[in-house]
Amino acid sequence: MSTTPDLATGPLDRLDPPALDAGVAAFLYREARLADESRYDEWLALWTDDAHYWVPSGTGDYDRDRRISFINDNRNRLTTRIRQLQTGVRYAQTPPSPMRRVVSNIELLSVTGDEVEVGSNFVLYELSLQATNELRIWAGRSTHLLRRRDGQLAMARKVVELVNASQPLPNLAFLL
Amino acid sequence: MNPGLHAVAASLDVSDRITPQKVHGSLYTDPEVFEAELHRIFHLGWSFVGHESEVPGVGDWVSRRIGRDPVLLVRTREGEVTVLANRCAHRGVQLCAGGSGTNGSFSCMFHGWTYSLSGELRGVPQPIGQHTDASALALDRPRAVDSYRGFVFANPSGTAGSLHDHLGAGGRELIDWAADLSPVGELDLTAGWLGQRSPSNWKMWAESDNDGYHLGRLHASLWRVAPGTQYESAVLAGEDRVVSTCRDRGKGHIELEFWKGYDKELAWLGAGREKVADYVDALVAARGLERAEELLWKGPPHALIFPNLFLGEMNLAIIEPLSAGDTVHHHTPLLLAGVSPEFNTRVLRQSEAAMGPGGFLLPDDATASERMQVAFSGTGGWMDLSRGLGREVLEGTDRVGHVSDETVNRGFWRHYGVVMAP
Repeated sequence: MSTTPDLATGPLDRLDPPALDAGVAAFLYREARLADESRYDEWLALWTDDAHYWVPSGTGDYDRDRRISFINDNRNRLTTRIRQLQTGVRYAQTPPSPMRRVVSNIELLSVTGDEVEVGSNFVLYELSLQATNELRIWAGRSTHLLRRRDGQLAMARKVVELVNASQPLPNLAFLL
Repeated sequence: MNPGLHAVAASLDVSDRITPQKVHGSLYTDPEVFEAELHRIFHLGWSFVGHESEVPGVGDWVSRRIGRDPVLLVRTREGEVTVLANRCAHRGVQLCAGGSGTNGSFSCMFHGWTYSLSGELRGVPQPIGQHTDASALALDRPRAVDSYRGFVFANPSGTAGSLHDHLGAGGRELIDWAADLSPVGELDLTAGWLGQRSPSNWKMWAESDNDGYHLGRLHASLWRVAPGTQYESAVLAGEDRVVSTCRDRGKGHIELEFWKGYDKELAWLGAGREKVADYVDALVAARGLERAEELLWKGPPHALIFPNLFLGEMNLAIIEPLSAGDTVHHHTPLLLAGVSPEFNTRVLRQSEAAMGPGGFLLPDDATASERMQVAFSGTGGWMDLSRGLGREVLEGTDRVGHVSDETVNRGFWRHYGVVMAP
């Protein structure tokens, strides 16, 4: 008896392509919604232990040990980031910015048995309620490395290349 | 400067908005004050432009502003570092776009006027019709450019006296101290710059960068989740237990002396000797045991060199004024020459944690400044800057207070009042 591989059990590179596409898109949409709504614990739970969350200065094609980045978090620093937001006195996000982002142009870049690398574009509207009440628009490309963990996708790496990453930026204390 | 702005700059008197204890908030929001500052502080005075290590090779340039004027910091063919207007002498087109590059010459995109790396006009297309003698044309430049330990400053008017006097003994000591942390006495500012853009006045950044009073409150969210930093003993331990001080070194140069409150050597690096043994050995060999041990304890300075250079411990920052209510705070990690790549990577990681729009500290400072800008945007109001007036002391010509005292704010504004006098 043969079974059709599914997202929970089968090698990802043996999945029916539409099933993989749908699973990846569902993950990205959920991740976006949790970030938009500043649901910190749920967002953090999407990450693997070897997490790498990177917002490069300019495009992400440089040696991170030689050049500075806006955000360059391993799991430990990412946890600190989330815990800081949860203190209630992270004034740069008190109150949290209302946000909505649109994720689109999803492309699977590579697929192996357990991992899929996926590129996507986003446009994010952020209302900076902490001082100026300014509506800020952010746009860029995300590259996720997703890995199957306990029968579900989790993210091991997220690189966010902002369109304006070569320029001075206002507060980036929310979750991209 | 255009005639209208020049009239504002020449006649505006802000002396009634600054008292020994109070400063009026309109100095942050008044567009006429801002124009006067561009003239009196950034045109008539010295300000920091960049560091020689940013342009190591011939033709290397980085883009900066003096006040609001775009300039290039350039390494010339002779190997000197100079500052040129980033503006064609013909029709005023910005010559170089982007933040940095390497050129053999500067050629204008519009009509092709071409300049040497030191700003002389070398070529004009279709030269038969050229009327003005090309040898009389060149890129504008500040009348005075000088450097100290690789730190390049400019005074566009050329009337501010020497850089030596602008820095004074206090400013020179601070810069020496930063450079001496390197076993070869040189910085290596090659990690790139990040900019924090903030709708707030530039002077708020000069002040908040050097405000020892706000750390416990504004940044409480970080201390709660990242215990064990050097700031606990240096500034957070309670007013009566903290022995750190602040220092007004005169001429607007102000300092927080966190190092007095550190509880161990190398606290500023978050690493004991065993982790940076090569660095310790090299520093002792270069500086001698006494100076090396002093530096290993103190770490880097935390100070403002008036008006726009922040020696922010293992960061260096430039405060760039865009308008009365708009500022960019640029920073780069204070990488050292003559140390291991791992040492500098450690500095880089620390910088990413603290600084910039995604860091754990600076976004909260931006929020506080932006709320000040909002709150003062109407008719304004006075700020009380009297904290510590009754307990600060004179050490030579320096005024020294508790690290939480506003001795430094008063020092900043006292000098501001002097240079802003019409």
